[in-house]
Amino acid sequence: MPADRTWRDSLTVQVLAPLLSLALLVGVWALVVDVFAIPQYVLPTPGATWEAIRSDWGTLWDGMRITFGEFLLGFVAGSLVGFMFAVAMAQSRLVMRALHPILIASQAVPIIAIAAALVIWLGFGLAPKIVIVALIVFFPVVVNVLDGLASVDRDMINLARAMGASSARIFRHISLPATYTPLFSALKLSATFSVTGAVIGEWTASTSGGLGAYLLQANSRLNTPATFASIALLAVLGVVAFMTVVAFERALTPWRTRAVARPWSATRRRVRRAPVKAPAPLPR
Amino acid sequence: MSAEPKLRIEGVSRSFETAEALRPVDLAVAPGEFVSVVGPSGCGKSTLFNIVSGILAPSAGRVYIDGRDVTGTTGHAGYMLQKDLLLPWRTVIENITLGAALHGRVPSDELDRGVALAERYGLGEFVHHYPHALSGGMRQRVALMRTLAVDRDLMLLDEPFGALDSQTRLDMQRWLLGVWEEQRRTIVFVTHDIDEAIFLADRVVVMTPRPGAVREVLTVDLPRPRGVELLTAPGFSALKRHILELIYDQAPVAYAR
Repeated sequence: MPADRTWRDSLTVQVLAPLLSLALLVGVWALVVDVFAIPQYVLPTPGATWEAIRSDWGTLWDGMRITFGEFLLGFVAGSLVGFMFAVAMAQSRLVMRALHPILIASQAVPIIAIAAALVIWLGFGLAPKIVIVALIVFFPVVVNVLDGLASVDRDMINLARAMGASSARIFRHISLPATYTPLFSALKLSATFSVTGAVIGEWTASTSGGLGAYLLQANSRLNTPATFASIALLAVLGVVAFMTVVAFERALTPWRTRAVARPWSATRRRVRRAPVKAPAPLPR
Repeated sequence: MSAEPKLRIEGVSRSFETAEALRPVDLAVAPGEFVSVVGPSGCGKSTLFNIVSGILAPSAGRVYIDGRDVTGTTGHAGYMLQKDLLLPWRTVIENITLGAALHGRVPSDELDRGVALAERYGLGEFVHHYPHALSGGMRQRVALMRTLAVDRDLMLLDEPFGALDSQTRLDMQRWLLGVWEEQRRTIVFVTHDIDEAIFLADRVVVMTPRPGAVREVLTVDLPRPRGVELLTAPGFSALKRHILELIYDQAPVAYAR
């Protein structure tokens, strides 16, 4: 893993490659519209879409902010509740049994159905969107955090006990960090779909604006360039949502991508002595 | 040998449900002594190990450390397994000081001591590495340093080098002897490797399988410090032959089923 870091993290691969594939996609899109002479109300050109974004940028920017806000609040709330759910379930077989049906039921009911009910309960504002997004991220987080907690080696717990550690410290230092990797897998998987969740919320009923509401309006007016403008920006939001999770993952789980702790890590700053260059020879 | 043994095992036995895993065992280990426990798999050596470390309660018998009855209680001995059990999210130094971290913030002198251990025993350059960046042998060294840092006079090692290739294992054995000669801890070393048992120990406890029992305790009267040449010395071979006979005169029974 450390050996190919320079290759993987180089600017070319990290930035240029995705830009290139994006340019290719836009190119193919423009070509298809041109070659098949597709009318604008069916599929606008990339140029027309860009123009639609530019001309109504103020409204679209507000919409993006609103939709991203819905995503962020719902995502954080759903993750926190899911995490606490998993920890509670891992405590005892009884709690596990008791909460399992609720967990499954939360996934079995279609989001759209829940969305309609949520509007009745919570109105047209921010609240139902947050709940929908939270419901989407909740299940994968619970499942993966449970997996992480179960992955802790029994012998590791015994070792910590033999060192005289309390249950709270064992949780803090051994069980909790073991959930980080599966937790972030869950967050990455649900990040993009959570943006979709916010859009579903806006479609059901909304007075708060947002990209989803904008899309619905543009679509009803057969304003295809504006529809595509919001679709393109929703794609951007999805990427931003995903990248935000990845950025947090990088920052919080450095051992997954690095061989050596960051120079500014707490322990490295506390170890005053510089590591010696030559290792001591093996005793003969 | 001083009057008070570091570790005294009196009539310790253990049954699991109906099966008898360990017949009553008596053993005394002197302070600073290196004792190997050797035997085929299923001879109850790991059961004995778990009882001494306090993870498992014996069905009968008592365990004394420094004359104090510690039967069924943990925290009196440092121990180490074949699995290194390093936490992947902690660096080498953070793994070495895990014992302190489990009691709160690691004090600066503990941190310094941990770094000193790493530097003294060949991992000075790697204190801030994560375990995944280390080789198997290096990881086991970190695990041993974590055991040393816990600062118990008695160290229980359960096949710590069992997962390493034979070359690395020999390096690690010599390294362990170097550490032991400097630190003078009391070591009980469980292994199934007869060469390893003789090479390291002052005494070898030979166990027989199902139910496990101590067959014989042999004194290894070979000079220290020990080097690789010892592995082919006549005294070594004679001991090895004796232990092989002790273990394998039961072999036909074991293979018959």
